[in-house]
Amino acid sequence: MEKKTKLHEKIYLVLILFFFYLPIFYVVFFSFNSSKSLTRFTGFSLQWYEKMFSNRTIMEAIGYTVACAVIATIVSTIVGTITAIGLSKSNRIVREMVSQVNNLPMLNPDIVTAIGFMLFFTSLRIQTGFTTMVLAHIAFCIPYVILSIMPKLRSLDPNIAEAALDLGCTPIQALWKVIIPQIKEGIIAGALVAFTMSFDDFVISLFTTGPGVNNISIYVYSSVKRINPTINALSALIVYVITIVLIIINVVPMIKERRGKRNEKIS
Amino acid sequence: MKKLIQVKNVTKTFGSQVVLKDISLDIYENEFVTLLGPSGCGKTTLLRIIAGFLDADEGHVIMDGEDIANTPAYKRDVNTVFQHYALFPHLDVYENIAFGLKIKKQPKDIIDQKVRRMVSLVGLEDFLHRDVTKLSGGQQQRVAIARALVNEPKVLLLDESLSALDKNLRKEMQLELKQIQKEVGITFVFVTHDQEEALTMSDKIVIMKDGEIEQIGTPLEVYNEPINEYCARFIGDSNIIEGNMIRDGLVRFDDVEYECVDKGFKDNEPVDVVIRPEDIDIVPRNQGKMNGEVKSVLFKGVHYEVIVETSSGTSKTVTMHVTKEHDITNESAHEKISASNFYMDLEDVPNLTDSEVITRANAQAWNEDNEDVSLSKVTYNVKNEVGTYDCTFATDKGTEISIKIFVVKPNVIEDQSNEEGIQAFDFYRTADEIKESMALDTDLILWADAAAWNLEDDSRVEIWDVKYDFDDENIVEGDYPITFSTQGRELKVETTDKIEEGERIGLNWNPEDIHVMRKMVV
Amino acid sequence: MKGFSKMAYPYIVWMVVMIILPMLMIVFYAFSKSGNDVLTFQFTFQNFIRFFEDSVFPNVLWRSLKMAVATTIICIALGYPCGYIIAKLKGNNQAIMILLITLPMWINMLVRTYAWRGLLGYVELSSEARVYVGMVYNFLPFMILEIYTSLSKIDPALLVAARDLGANDFQAFLKVTLPLSLSGVVSGITLVFLPAVSSFFIPKLLGGGQYVLIGNLIEDYFITSGDWNFGSAISFIMAIIILISMYVTRKLDRTAKEDEI
Repeated sequence: MEKKTKLHEKIYLVLILFFFYLPIFYVVFFSFNSSKSLTRFTGFSLQWYEKMFSNRTIMEAIGYTVACAVIATIVSTIVGTITAIGLSKSNRIVREMVSQVNNLPMLNPDIVTAIGFMLFFTSLRIQTGFTTMVLAHIAFCIPYVILSIMPKLRSLDPNIAEAALDLGCTPIQALWKVIIPQIKEGIIAGALVAFTMSFDDFVISLFTTGPGVNNISIYVYSSVKRINPTINALSALIVYVITIVLIIINVVPMIKERRGKRNEKIS
Repeated sequence: MKKLIQVKNVTKTFGSQVVLKDISLDIYENEFVTLLGPSGCGKTTLLRIIAGFLDADEGHVIMDGEDIANTPAYKRDVNTVFQHYALFPHLDVYENIAFGLKIKKQPKDIIDQKVRRMVSLVGLEDFLHRDVTKLSGGQQQRVAIARALVNEPKVLLLDESLSALDKNLRKEMQLELKQIQKEVGITFVFVTHDQEEALTMSDKIVIMKDGEIEQIGTPLEVYNEPINEYCARFIGDSNIIEGNMIRDGLVRFDDVEYECVDKGFKDNEPVDVVIRPEDIDIVPRNQGKMNGEVKSVLFKGVHYEVIVETSSGTSKTVTMHVTKEHDITNESAHEKISASNFYMDLEDVPNLTDSEVITRANAQAWNEDNEDVSLSKVTYNVKNEVGTYDCTFATDKGTEISIKIFVVKPNVIEDQSNEEGIQAFDFYRTADEIKESMALDTDLILWADAAAWNLEDDSRVEIWDVKYDFDDENIVEGDYPITFSTQGRELKVETTDKIEEGERIGLNWNPEDIHVMRKMVV
Repeated sequence: MKGFSKMAYPYIVWMVVMIILPMLMIVFYAFSKSGNDVLTFQFTFQNFIRFFEDSVFPNVLWRSLKMAVATTIICIALGYPCGYIIAKLKGNNQAIMILLITLPMWINMLVRTYAWRGLLGYVELSSEARVYVGMVYNFLPFMILEIYTSLSKIDPALLVAARDLGANDFQAFLKVTLPLSLSGVVSGITLVFLPAVSSFFIPKLLGGGQYVLIGNLIEDYFITSGDWNFGSAISFIMAIIILISMYVTRKLDRTAKEDEI
């Protein structure tokens, strides 16, 4: 498909990118505004950041969001990995069935999944709160983890586990020493997806959480009735964190690779 | 020699499919055994049962006198070289080879010694710390062998281990494998579908088919005395001819009786006869046991592979009427149109469509710029009975041509000795159409609607040969005979003498070159 | 190796409890009277009759569908050229562009939508138009990525072959590129239409509560008024409509593929 890119095509791409980044730059810019206005920049100030850090509800929301995302990521990654390995050795019918059911929460609108959880928890007389939110997050993260590990498993040599057994590994050793190291990338990718899915989730959290337990999204949603520039600061904070994390994720492998190449040259 | 592995009455099914049927096989110490057969014959399943990756449904595998049914794979004194090697991509060459020893918690210095010895055995000294994914196929193969052998197993199992290599490398590895086996002195069980591999390396070949063992023997035995048609076809190139055993030492095929050395058949028992291509000599006509005509000669490097037809197939001759140019020009529309009369089979009348009529008549119209113009109107009044009918093709602009369709009863030629029938029809074409044909034989078959079939089961038989003696480049109006025929008896002969296609020759062989086999039970 | 397959069993149990049961709960609530629980279940169509009796609810449903279809069409119109241009870029530039388009997606959707609230303060727009901006903004990246992926998988030799067989640039695009990229468009449609039809925070944040879509109805009945039976019935209706539209889309994709052959 490689051809010369014409000028108007370049302009089009720039416009699309501008559209995508405009609100992000806007939010960061106005988080430094000295007044309450959302359209007029009256001067530089850090007051909204101060207000944010001294606001207990916001800090709690950040805490709940991170805690929920960490727990959901760990549990869903472990369960997802074990399940994916099991599925890769199961017969086609089981595999097909599980993937069909797994598709449900991914193909259903979030709101349907969310009210399903809500009805489920309340019917069982479980008080909604942090625990139910975490359970729901784990439930919707596992399918994504499985989905990101399965291709790695499928691309393994079909005899790789047998080779390990053949060389004297017990089944558990075969998993640890041979299978897990080779699907490591898929597991990491799955964990990353799980973390962001959980961290960014709004709809399912809204319906499965209980009184007094908010995550960042719910806090933003519930406080939009009033003009509240602390939200700009909060949004900007998220932008900073995500940017730093993404830079690390994208740059570290590059450095590693370069170092690897240098080592190869030396040896 | 001592029996190392005894496979006793092993049966294995996957779902409703029986993969191994009551297999029994003895494997001796220090033996190179090859399980040979096409994919799906059960050879890999048998190997996996020996390795411990699968359990047999029935029967036993006994190793060193002990039933190993309940010994898991990781405790068996057996190692495997897998089809795609199954090297661990996250480990380098050294770590891959050391893997089994590390699992068994051997001391570091012992591991190092053993790995280094193994590496030099397979010639990978320079690649110790290379990434296994960056090795060539042959090098990966060697790592896989070393990784298995370093554990000092009693048996090495190799599952289609050479199939991923290219031809030259495969030959090289065949020799090397045999060499390694001699050097380490353990039993190798090798699975392959490649008969050449089996012949070059094995002490013993086990030919399998549909989950059963057909023949066990040394390479020489299975080559010279295949037990049935299946084994003969699988090992080496063969001419296999149906015949009858008249009595001991006398077999009849292709209507002639020949001397042979085989005994022990019932009188007049139907048999299959094998004559290897290299056992047949080419001699002057009428001086051999058979006469024939050379159909094709293929240079194979050292020898020529010659196909000789010794009796012809079923044939049918039709007349091709080559007519003069009959384009009709429509001056006002600046268009030209042409079409030819055609004969057709009465049986085909009910299924006749416009587009088929156009094809059969080779009807076409074109304008001044030589662009095709579509035939929008096709009218014909063909009835479901023998007769001559009119047919008209026309374009949108009214350019027209009329032809005749001759509906005839097919004149079938049935050859009872070949159990074949053949039919074809006379047809009309212009000289230009013949000159323009890009694949004349195919077009002639199409134009004459020639077809052949098996009289017994009605299955289609290929038209093998189209014979005519006109020069298609310079053909003129007139009638020409064309003969369509099916494949007759053809024998493959290997010779080092140059021979020309079309030459009429004789074929000769000695009585001991004929090998008679029992018919396979289907 | 069959032993490893047992590792999937715990999750199969979990899946039944945490995925299938909640779905069944929705159906159960949708077809029962309020005040019922699992023990005193009374089957009724009342919730559905109520939905279709009053024209308000079907109107909202209709508006949501129109909105989702329009959003999907806009996303295809904007996203196809974008994916096409990216697929034509040099390898390295392609990766950079895709990275640039994915980056904003990592930031909380709610936060990004919230940002538009302030931005749209600069222009006078109807609440409907504001909601459209939010929808297209949130869902366009999915469409671009799907279309790009299907386009980048097309073997360049196919286009060379089409040119060799006498097609000009436009014909080659029409007869080769476009049909082969349709599967990407279809999965893009799934990724845009589905969340668009059920979205409720975009209209709430950007429409200023003036603009009610089906998702807002569901939220209201669950969170505000607590009528879970009616809320479940609305979700059930929405899920059925989505199911049908997904089925139709896939069917269209399949017939399109058959036409190619």
